[in-house]
Amino acid sequence: MSETSHVTRRRFLQSTAWMSGAIATGAGSWVVPPAWGQSGNPIKVGIATDLTGAIGYAGNANANIAKLLTKEINAKGGVIGRPIELLIEDTASNESTAVANVRKLIQRDKVDVVFGGITSSMRNAIKDVIVTRGKTLYIYPQLYEGKECTPYIFCTGPTPAQQCDEFIPWLIKNGGKRFALPSANYVWPHVLNQYARKVIESSGGEVIFEEYYPLDQVEYSATVNKIMTNKVDVVFNTVIPPGVGPFFKQLYEAGFQKRGGRLSCVYYDENTLNINAPHEIEGLASCLDYFKVVTKEDAPSGRIQAEYDKQFPGNIAFAAGSAATGMYRGLKLWEAAVNEAKSVNRDPVAKALDHAKISEGPGGPAEMVPGKRHCKMRMYTAVAKGGTYELVARSKGLVDPKEC
Amino acid sequence: MEGAITAVFEVLNFGAIMILVVLGLGVIAGMMGIFNFAHGEFVLLGAYTVYLFSVWALPIWLGMLVAPAVVAAIALVLERLVIRRFYAAPVIAMLGTYAIGLVIRESVRGLIGGLYRAVPEPLPGSFDIGAVHIARWRLSIVIVTALVIVGSYLLLSRTGFGLRVRAALENPSLARASGISTDRVYAATFAFGAALAGLAGALVVPVFSLSADLGIRFLIQGFLAVMLGGVGSFEGSVVGAGVIGILSAALPWAVAPVLADVLVFVIAVVLVRLWPRGLTAGRTV
Repeated sequence: MSETSHVTRRRFLQSTAWMSGAIATGAGSWVVPPAWGQSGNPIKVGIATDLTGAIGYAGNANANIAKLLTKEINAKGGVIGRPIELLIEDTASNESTAVANVRKLIQRDKVDVVFGGITSSMRNAIKDVIVTRGKTLYIYPQLYEGKECTPYIFCTGPTPAQQCDEFIPWLIKNGGKRFALPSANYVWPHVLNQYARKVIESSGGEVIFEEYYPLDQVEYSATVNKIMTNKVDVVFNTVIPPGVGPFFKQLYEAGFQKRGGRLSCVYYDENTLNINAPHEIEGLASCLDYFKVVTKEDAPSGRIQAEYDKQFPGNIAFAAGSAATGMYRGLKLWEAAVNEAKSVNRDPVAKALDHAKISEGPGGPAEMVPGKRHCKMRMYTAVAKGGTYELVARSKGLVDPKEC
Repeated sequence: MEGAITAVFEVLNFGAIMILVVLGLGVIAGMMGIFNFAHGEFVLLGAYTVYLFSVWALPIWLGMLVAPAVVAAIALVLERLVIRRFYAAPVIAMLGTYAIGLVIRESVRGLIGGLYRAVPEPLPGSFDIGAVHIARWRLSIVIVTALVIVGSYLLLSRTGFGLRVRAALENPSLARASGISTDRVYAATFAFGAALAGLAGALVVPVFSLSADLGIRFLIQGFLAVMLGGVGSFEGSVVGAGVIGILSAALPWAVAPVLADVLVFVIAVVLVRLWPRGLTAGRTV
């Protein structure tokens, strides 16, 4: 072996130092520049999403769909004659990291609009940086508890009204009147349950108990026992992972479904189906703006899903629960607004976005409700059968978000 | 009545799971004075091994037998390369093992795409005693835990290996002077503790589903259990883990679950205050 092929200690140190420097400053920041030859200074679109950490699977789907759309838009000549430059920052499932990275988007890159955030705590952490101090437009794509009425924040995911108004009467008809609301102890379940309880009671059902658990609780025997002894018909679940897997399993083992009980959970999409074995959650009902099976009846959804699967094969799925559908809707609505406003400045775009419409999207068309900064969309009710979903109900037309 | 029997079984079951997870942590902390922050990830590796067996369509029970060996082998390599440098500096050992844990956890997260994966149990279904449902797999966990406790106790208290381990713990220089290779004993102890973690992960993964954060969930409660039972004894870890596990499963039957979570820690702190050297101090192997 020749002398030169040895890795010396100094060389090793140099390269590790370089590597760690690169990781510390670079990883998580991705720039997708417009293709060579496109004229005009690009519109800078910032995506702040959780590429790493506990909900990395969701953030990556968001980034993927943004890349896909940017490519599509740029191929058609961009927006108002200008190409889009995508700047993706990692919010790392961690609010303090997120604030620093979003600041980079606002102060260093001076983006024209920011899309992203998945959890409500993330939205609350970064919204001030973007909207108040950053004076930038912010579009939030995830299903959430509602009540976000800050000016210049537009929400493109489903709200409690959209997820409950048609779903809960369906549950009463196809499950029963006695509801249990087992929930993780954070803001989304608390606020969603307030709304759900109203709908349950006005539809002739009753809430047997509403109970909150620590976010990392994995032992639910006391809850399961309460459900079984109180003859609950419908479990309207907002327990989240890691607890939801063992909870559903214990419920199944206690014979809840065998007795005719109906399991329901409004964040359940294609990703979360894998948490349990299929027979343990057979019959689980969910209500979202999109399920993969919608592609069978809505051609534009089919086209989007096929394109996504072609460009991003692997285990990062395009699913509604991870905000990817809201991200698609948000980007297209924003594109429509910029085309109408003929500008990327905040006020004219916000004014146009206030009544923006798209005729195609995952799950169908969508439109902003003027003055409300929330989005009307179609909603679907699906039931888990043998490891996939089957559509059992769909809204007539677009459902109102009933916010702000 | 049925309610009471169900409650007792479920509480016992979670107590057993806790003991199983904490045992390896207790052995390593007690026998070697190392607080292994990668313990949760050893549990995760055991679980991941079983998951691979289910993906490859091999028998799950075989995966559960292989998992402890796989984890022990990985731990042995880590001990030779990294851990042994930390024996003189326990605080640095915590940081070092934390780093190892982080690498393992994030690697597994990458491998499973950050999602949750269901793993089937080798003994599905449940049987009824009167009106009480008992899940077969949960009962198996209780039985295996009992066997593991007895087996480990006998290994440490009745065999030559156990004697050497205890000698190396009590007085390392005298042990070396008497011809015991403390170096090897430590390596073997570390691998043994890791194997217990691997077994725990393998057995509980059908109950909790596989995710990268499977192990870390138990880490804080695990350390609390070891402190409660008393560092430096085998019985201590068992008793401590039993108390913590049973408390965390039993309290939600009586009080609001959010309160129960805090109460477990309050009660544990009070117990540690009353028995500062651990519940089993002075009556141990």
